[in-house]
Amino acid sequence: MKNLKLRSIVSFLMVTVFLSACSAVPTKTDGTNTPSNAKTSGSDSSKLSWDKVNDPSLKGQEINVLVVDTDGKIGKIFKQFTDETGIKVNELAVDYNSLYGKITTAALSNSSDIDVFEMDTIWAGQFFKGNIAEDLTNIVPEDVQKKYTKSSLSSAMFDNHLIGIPYYSSTKHFYWNKDLLKKAGYEAPPKTWDEFREVSKKLTTNGVYASGWSWKQAESLICDYVGMVYAFGGNMIGDDGKLIVNSKESIQALQYMSDLINTDKTVDPASMQWTEEDVKNAFMAGKIAMMSNWENMYPDLNDPTKSKVVNQSDVGLLPGQGSIVSSSVTGSEGIAIMKSSKKKQAALAFLHWIGSREFQIPFYSTTGTYPSLEELYSDQEIIKADKTKTLAKIMPEFQYGHNRPNAPGYVEWADILSSQVYSGLMKHQTPEQSLKEASRLIDDAIQKAAK
Amino acid sequence: MQKILTASKKERKDILFAILLLAPTLYLLLRIFILPIMQSLVWSFFKYNLMDGSAIEYVGLRNYVDISVLNDFWISMKNTSYFTGFSVLAELAIGFICALLLNQTFTGRSFFRGIIIIPWAMLTLVNGLLWNSIYQPGYGALNNILHQLHLLEAGTNPVWLSSSTNVVFFAAISDIWKMTPLMTLLLLAGMQSIPASLYEAVAIDGAGFWRKVWHVTLPQIKPSLLIALVLRVIGAFRVYDILTVFTANPNTSVSYLTYNFAFRYFYLGRASAMAWISTIFILILITIYMVLLKRQQKEQ
Repeated sequence: MKNLKLRSIVSFLMVTVFLSACSAVPTKTDGTNTPSNAKTSGSDSSKLSWDKVNDPSLKGQEINVLVVDTDGKIGKIFKQFTDETGIKVNELAVDYNSLYGKITTAALSNSSDIDVFEMDTIWAGQFFKGNIAEDLTNIVPEDVQKKYTKSSLSSAMFDNHLIGIPYYSSTKHFYWNKDLLKKAGYEAPPKTWDEFREVSKKLTTNGVYASGWSWKQAESLICDYVGMVYAFGGNMIGDDGKLIVNSKESIQALQYMSDLINTDKTVDPASMQWTEEDVKNAFMAGKIAMMSNWENMYPDLNDPTKSKVVNQSDVGLLPGQGSIVSSSVTGSEGIAIMKSSKKKQAALAFLHWIGSREFQIPFYSTTGTYPSLEELYSDQEIIKADKTKTLAKIMPEFQYGHNRPNAPGYVEWADILSSQVYSGLMKHQTPEQSLKEASRLIDDAIQKAAK
Repeated sequence: MQKILTASKKERKDILFAILLLAPTLYLLLRIFILPIMQSLVWSFFKYNLMDGSAIEYVGLRNYVDISVLNDFWISMKNTSYFTGFSVLAELAIGFICALLLNQTFTGRSFFRGIIIIPWAMLTLVNGLLWNSIYQPGYGALNNILHQLHLLEAGTNPVWLSSSTNVVFFAAISDIWKMTPLMTLLLLAGMQSIPASLYEAVAIDGAGFWRKVWHVTLPQIKPSLLIALVLRVIGAFRVYDILTVFTANPNTSVSYLTYNFAFRYFYLGRASAMAWISTIFILILITIYMVLLKRQQKEQ
């Protein structure tokens, strides 16, 4: 009797499992692939309207917003949106490294827990093709799109589709310690990478290294590498949007980076384990004299509770080489609406506010993040908020910013490239061998993905 | 079912009530445990690239063949095996010694038994961040200590996490620091259950401390030892989170590589195949454990 009961239960479970397995067969819907159990839920995107962002009926709705906000400053600004519109914002604050995982996990489980999310420039293609983010091309009017800086708008676009509202403008910049340079006999920062090398040799002394970099095997390494490749006259993106890896200029750039750390030994070796935040900390501790980093280094660099180099630093153009005045990597980001959100119109109202003067000015004055709205660069409030007087020094670099590719597949290619560039810098291979191998592996990955 | 049909009305009610109480748990288990496992098995036979807009196709065993010839997969397998072997053996050895010490009677024993749990209670990521700062070239504690002990020449500044092999080695060290307490507690629990009369008997036979350990402690704690070993081997084989702190190189462990294939590149078919291949390896380990356990029970 016992056996029979057990058998019945086991059979019942087996049938249930078998039936559930049948439903696990992945299916294709609406011309796009979604997870098998995912139905595009939420409100219909065709009903989304830019004209209805101030609709009083949205009052009382609640949206969940996933952003990078490690010190809670951005969350405080969001309260202003609730005050103005009556739409409640639940901020899901994460660090940058957790952002991608949170978005993709939510998308994979077709969760509507996230309505709005921060989108790095390199993810736009994936999120569009993967049906994760709402396509805003026909929702945000063209005259509105034209109001944003080229860098921030292109970061939220893929293949002429607008995937998000431009959040901020960003490139990497050159920071230097004026006092240390003066001690080494330099009044002005280096203008070319050749000059940088010479200056570095004199600066590296008494336990202080000339420069520190975010060369940990991660995306932060690719950011420095991309800027360097363009400085040496190279190009990272082909006509088809694919990565160009193995060019003469790329090898030259990697050789230069390797010479700095391995031959001249002017780069702090800890750079091989650093990301941008670590570089900033070393610069603030006075351990390195020069660095390449993003915009919002101020006011921290001049905050005596955090920094030992108060009023000693300055910022300007990253060096160029030959006829190239300067070269940097773009890091602008967008804010997008989750395809599975059930409160898309309220989310759109939030995006409208993010891309407006009302958010962009306090965003700049509180966090030092540069506006995506072009007109704000001559706005008196922004100029007034620029307490460190760096606006005019930061802005010129934006015209020398270069995008990384944002096609689907980039995340894998970038992982391969960072692994090989790292290996070249650690002298496990020569720069030429590293990039040749990177090219082979990326081609291989593309072929396998298409197979 | 048969019982329900033949039972009295009251019994039938009780059985149905029991099923009703079990139903939520069974549903949850099915939904969050059994279904995803089955789903991944089905997906492993499909070309299912979620993020590039390509068509979904049934490909049979192709994903398994692709993974079995993927160089990165075997590198990650090798690294995982190295991590597992090295960390579990070290944890076992250190854990055994700690358990022996904590099994003795001395002043402050409860205090030491309490504080030994601290590393284990720490979040894995926090542990990773802690050790990452220790391994920093230049200002990291490891370099500083080695310089002060004159084991490193002044001016040398090694980058400890410079290759995947180094990352795996140093990640294993931090894992050993974190997980040895678990091993200690499991073995200590085993030691506590040994009757004092056994030690007294061998003491009368003239056995010293090490002979007591060899002839009484070790055979008596064999079941605890087996459980501890299997739990740690399975845990170490799945290593992932701590490595993400040290490097973005997914070849450092098979779980890391599988995670990247699934949640960074969204090759869900190939990632599922990869997960199933590594599951088979874990199943082999579990089978070995079951056989050993059975043999152990027979001996008793």
